[in-house]
Amino acid sequence: MVSLRFVLLVSMALLALFGSLLAGGSAIAPADIASALLHPHQTSDIATIVWQLRMPRVVIAAVVGAALAIGGALLQGMLRNPLVDPYLTGVSAGAAAAIALAILAGVAAPALPALGFVAGLLTAVLVAALARRGSGVDPNRLILAGISISALFSAVVAFAIARSNSLDAAQSILAWLAGSLAGRGWNDLLFALPYLGAGTLLALLAAPALDALRVGDIRARAVGVDVDRAQWLILASTSLLAAASVALAGMIGFIGLIVPHVARRLVGSSARFLLPVCALLGAALCALADAIARSIVAPSELPIGVLLAFIGVPAFLYLYLRQERPA
Amino acid sequence: MIALESLAVGLGGRTFVRDIDARIAAGEFLAVLGPNGVGKTTLLRTICGIVPARAGHVELDGMALRSLAPAARARAIAFVTSDDAMIETLRVHDVVAIGRYPHHPWWEWNENLSDDAAIERALEAVALRDAEQRPFTTLSSGERQRVWIAMGLAQETPVLLLDEPTSHLDVRVAHEILALLRRLASRGRTVVCVLHDLNDAAAYADRLMLLGRERMLACDVPDRVLTPSLIERAYGITVARVETPAGPRVFAHVPK
Repeated sequence: MVSLRFVLLVSMALLALFGSLLAGGSAIAPADIASALLHPHQTSDIATIVWQLRMPRVVIAAVVGAALAIGGALLQGMLRNPLVDPYLTGVSAGAAAAIALAILAGVAAPALPALGFVAGLLTAVLVAALARRGSGVDPNRLILAGISISALFSAVVAFAIARSNSLDAAQSILAWLAGSLAGRGWNDLLFALPYLGAGTLLALLAAPALDALRVGDIRARAVGVDVDRAQWLILASTSLLAAASVALAGMIGFIGLIVPHVARRLVGSSARFLLPVCALLGAALCALADAIARSIVAPSELPIGVLLAFIGVPAFLYLYLRQERPA
Repeated sequence: MIALESLAVGLGGRTFVRDIDARIAAGEFLAVLGPNGVGKTTLLRTICGIVPARAGHVELDGMALRSLAPAARARAIAFVTSDDAMIETLRVHDVVAIGRYPHHPWWEWNENLSDDAAIERALEAVALRDAEQRPFTTLSSGERQRVWIAMGLAQETPVLLLDEPTSHLDVRVAHEILALLRRLASRGRTVVCVLHDLNDAAAYADRLMLLGRERMLACDVPDRVLTPSLIERAYGITVARVETPAGPRVFAHVPK
């Protein structure tokens, strides 16, 4: 039953990614897109549009969606708290503050993603240090530290917006906060790939312990889980995945919080099903949202984070409440 | 064989009980008794290695427990606790399968045939085969208790430690669980179990360990432990002892 659902989900995710390739300024028939995909060395305009403009964007959207959803599932499982998302690590708040201050100081736009990545990771280290207890992580301290540090850096962003002399600077900060994949290419993905790879590897190392962590630290230790190690692995993995995502796409909320919920409804909480399904759903959702964001008011774009919140949250609430209602 | 040598157990800055010396043989059912707060749960957690000993040490078949890696320890000793947990969307099968964690290397995510068989046996033992696909959150507290026991059984360890396994259970199911533990001991497993009902302990266990404030008061057969003087020292209440064909039983004096 689960394998049938998995096959369906893989098919739907591939369909969503292909569908995302159709969106863009020039109308290209699905058959031409398919032909360009099958013949990557073509030199036609269509092949250039597909491989150099649309494909990197769709792949980056998919990677960001998958990374945020996996990070959310890991952190929710570790903290046994369905209301947390990968940004609890402080990554997005730290990155946002650094980028806002950098825009205010006139730092060149191409340097911003790398700056956001480094600042996000440093903030995650600060949050982790505050959450440390003994040799492990205290879940309550992590939540408190994450929320407090995020609030502090949100104030820094508000300060930067208030102090910006030009409308352009304020708009740049706001655009970054709303999340966008505009102008992203293969080079951006290459920059983030090592960190995404490291985050995924750490997630794979921690994943087998995730089910045991869900039934409490004492039971997890009793079945042989090194709880402290698993917690640090999850925190490091989530921080890397979130920081790489933030560097690629700015702040994209909703996915890290909601996709794990939807995935659990579909295949249950067992990590060996939950994590791959989170990756598939996150990738499909983010790629589709980006396709809609760049086509709905073409030639300009909607911020993907805003679009996801506008469409995704009511849809999720509808699905969730409908399933909760007694038959 | 478990050997407790000059063992002191505690949490935080407090030592609950010290100077525990005891040997628990393979195939023995030992019940740990004592009033609330004397360290019964902490003793079990220390025996299974998830809480460090304050002094002394625990040996398992002649090997110091602290020398074992977590997974090796969990293949030797299972610990069942009844503390509740928020595990929305996990099915009964998923929870019991967690007991198979120490039998897998980290890269092996899928359940194999021996996992399936162990999970099936564990669910069968606690009479929950029919509930295997039910979400854990839909179970009664008694059924949840049985799932935790099944998770411990699925670990398939020679030693089984249980912290109040009959709490939340009605009298029939409680006796079924104790009878199950008795059978497991008869088949060679070492069972160490915290219980509150003195007469249940006397009925099913081979020996009783009675803990008082800061020290072990006795560790012996029920006949020598369920004495009015020892019970009064441990709990501060007077009891009447009644001899029955099944052994001694005690009843608290209730002021009229």
